[in-house]
Amino acid sequence: MNQSRLVAPTLKFLVAANLALLISSAGAQTPAGEDLARKVDQLGDELTKVKEQLKQMQDEKAAGAATSAPASSATASASSVSPNEPATILFSYGEINYNRPTKHTEDTQVDLRRFVLGLQHRFDEKNKLVTEIEVEHAVSSADDPGEVEIEQAYVEHALNQTWSARGGLFLIPAGLLNERHEPTAYYGVERNFVETAIIPTTWREGGVEIVGNFDNGLTLQTGFATGFDLNKWDATSTEGLESPLGSIHQELALAKGHDISVFGALNWRGIPGLQLGASVFTGGATQGQATTDSRVTLWDLHARWTPGRWDLAALYARGSISNTAELNQPLVGNPTLIPESFDGWYAQAAYKLWEHQEYALTPFVRWEQFNTARSYADLGTGLTPEAAKTERVITVGANFQVSPGIVLKADVQRFRENDDANRFDLGLGWSF
Amino acid sequence: MRTGLTLASAGASEWLFCATSVCALAPASAFAVDYLSAEQAAKLMFPDAESFDSRQIKLDSSQMQQLDSQGVQARSARWVVRTAQRGKTPLGFVVIDEVIGKFELITYAVGLGLDGAVKQVEILSYRESHGQEIRLPAWRKQFVGKTSASPIHVGDDIANISGATLSCKHVSDGVKRVVTVVDLARKNGALQ
Repeated sequence: MNQSRLVAPTLKFLVAANLALLISSAGAQTPAGEDLARKVDQLGDELTKVKEQLKQMQDEKAAGAATSAPASSATASASSVSPNEPATILFSYGEINYNRPTKHTEDTQVDLRRFVLGLQHRFDEKNKLVTEIEVEHAVSSADDPGEVEIEQAYVEHALNQTWSARGGLFLIPAGLLNERHEPTAYYGVERNFVETAIIPTTWREGGVEIVGNFDNGLTLQTGFATGFDLNKWDATSTEGLESPLGSIHQELALAKGHDISVFGALNWRGIPGLQLGASVFTGGATQGQATTDSRVTLWDLHARWTPGRWDLAALYARGSISNTAELNQPLVGNPTLIPESFDGWYAQAAYKLWEHQEYALTPFVRWEQFNTARSYADLGTGLTPEAAKTERVITVGANFQVSPGIVLKADVQRFRENDDANRFDLGLGWSF
Repeated sequence: MRTGLTLASAGASEWLFCATSVCALAPASAFAVDYLSAEQAAKLMFPDAESFDSRQIKLDSSQMQQLDSQGVQARSARWVVRTAQRGKTPLGFVVIDEVIGKFELITYAVGLGLDGAVKQVEILSYRESHGQEIRLPAWRKQFVGKTSASPIHVGDDIANISGATLSCKHVSDGVKRVVTVVDLARKNGALQ
C-alpha cells in the first residue's frame, strides 16, 4: 500500500528532474545532437523501468487484498498468500423435521427441531473459546414448547502438540453421536434411539478434560465433571422411561456439585476408515441430598468402518444406577420407578449410491434394540416393577447431500413393540 | 492464443514478491498447533536436496478453465512451487497450501516426484478441536503415488476418517488441486 504511494511522487520527481536536465542541456547548446538523443533515450528507459515497478507493486497490492480476505469457502485455497485467519468464527447447524405417524396421522408434526449458533474465538495461538447456543422448537416462552440452552461453553488450551486441556461446559465423549451431532453427520431424520434414550445426546457437563492425540492413532479423553441428579427423578412422569439419564442430567444449570463424576474415552483410528472406541462415565448422583448414596455408570463400545462408498457402524451402550431399591421405596405406587439398568445397541449400514459434483445420495438401513428399564432392583413381591420390553426399531431411508453443508433426509421407521409409533419422516438439515 | 505458464521476471520486484510469498508460506504461527515449518517439511520430503528453488507460477484464464473442466477449482491463479535440487539436478517439487477443515485452516505440504506423482503429504498446522487424526501417517500414505489421473476423492481411493469427514474431504480436494496444477506446470515447461 505505502510502496505505491511512495513510488508515484518519486516517478513525478524523476520526470521533472529529467525534463529540467533536458531543457538545461538543450539551452546550454553544448552537446551535439547525438548526445541529446542519447540522453532522451536514457530518460525513456528509466521511465519505462519505473513504470514497470509501479505497475508490479500495484498488482501485488491488488493480489494481496484479494487473498487476504477471510476464506469463506470450505475449499478456499491459499497457495501463495496465506489469508488472514479471523480470530472469531461464527458457525451454525439446525434441522427442520416432519414426522407423520402412519397410524395416527392426526399427530403429524413439523418442527424446527433445533437451531444452533456457535461462536469460536481464538485468544492466541494456544487458547480458544468454543460456545454454542441452541433454540429448540423455534419459540421459547412461558406458553411455548421451546427451550433456549447453552450447549457448549469451554476454553481450550493447547499444552503441546499431543495434549490439550478444556475447562467449562463441554460434550461428554461417549458413543459416536454425542460429540458430532450435526444433522449432516448422521443418517436418518431423527438421531438414533440408543444414542438418545441410553446415551442422552446432546449430553454435556461442566468440568475439566484433557485430550491426547497420539501418532499411533489413539485419542484419549478423560477428566472430571458434574454428574447426574437423582433428586430430580419424577416418578409421576414417563420421562424417565423415555431416557433415564436424559431426565436427570443437569446441563450446568445451577448444577449440584457435591458428587463429581469421572469419565474417559479411548478411540483408535490407526487404519484409515476404521474407528474403534469405548467410553465410560461414572459418579455419584444423589449429591449428598439423600440418605442413600447412588452411583450412575454409563459405558459404551462402538465401531465405525467406512470402506469405499460404505459407511458401517455399530454401538452398544449400557447404564446402571446403584442402590435403587432404597431410592425407589418412597416412590412405590408411582408409574415410573428408577431402573437398575438400561441398555441398547444398533447396527447401521449406509452406501453412497450416487454422486455428482457436490450432490450425493446415500441410502441406509439401521436396526436398533433398546430397553430403558432392563431391570429393577428387588422391592419385594408385588412391588418390584416388571422390566420394560425391549423395543426394536428398523429405520430405512436416505440422506441426499445437496452440498457438504446441506442435507435432505427421508426415512420410514417401524417399531416392533409400540407400532403406534411407526412413522414417515422428512428432514432438512444444515451445518457450517 | 498461446497457452503457457508465465514465470515472473527475475527483476527486483520479483524478489519483493518472493519475499512476501515466503513469509506467507511459513506456517501461520498465530492460532495454530504447528507440527512442521515449510522448510522442515520440504527437507523431510527431499532429504537429499541441497536447495529449494521457489518459482512463482501464474495461471491464465484458459488454464483456470482447463482445471475447472477437470473438476478442479484452482481458486488461486498464483502458485509457488519449490523445486528440490541436488546441485543442478532437480529431485522433485514441494507445494505448501492451506484449506479449511471444518472451521479453521489446515496447512499442509505436498511433495511430488519429477513425474508429478505424490511422494509425500505432511500436515504442517492443524487448528480444529477435532479431527487431528488426518495427521496419522496411515491416512496420509494413501496419497503416495497419486497423479492427476487419480480420483483423489474420499470414498473412492481415499478412505475417510470417522469424525474428521470435512478435514479429509478438503485436504483430499487440496492435494488433487496441487497435483493437477503441478502437472499442468510440468507439461508447459514452467518447472524446467
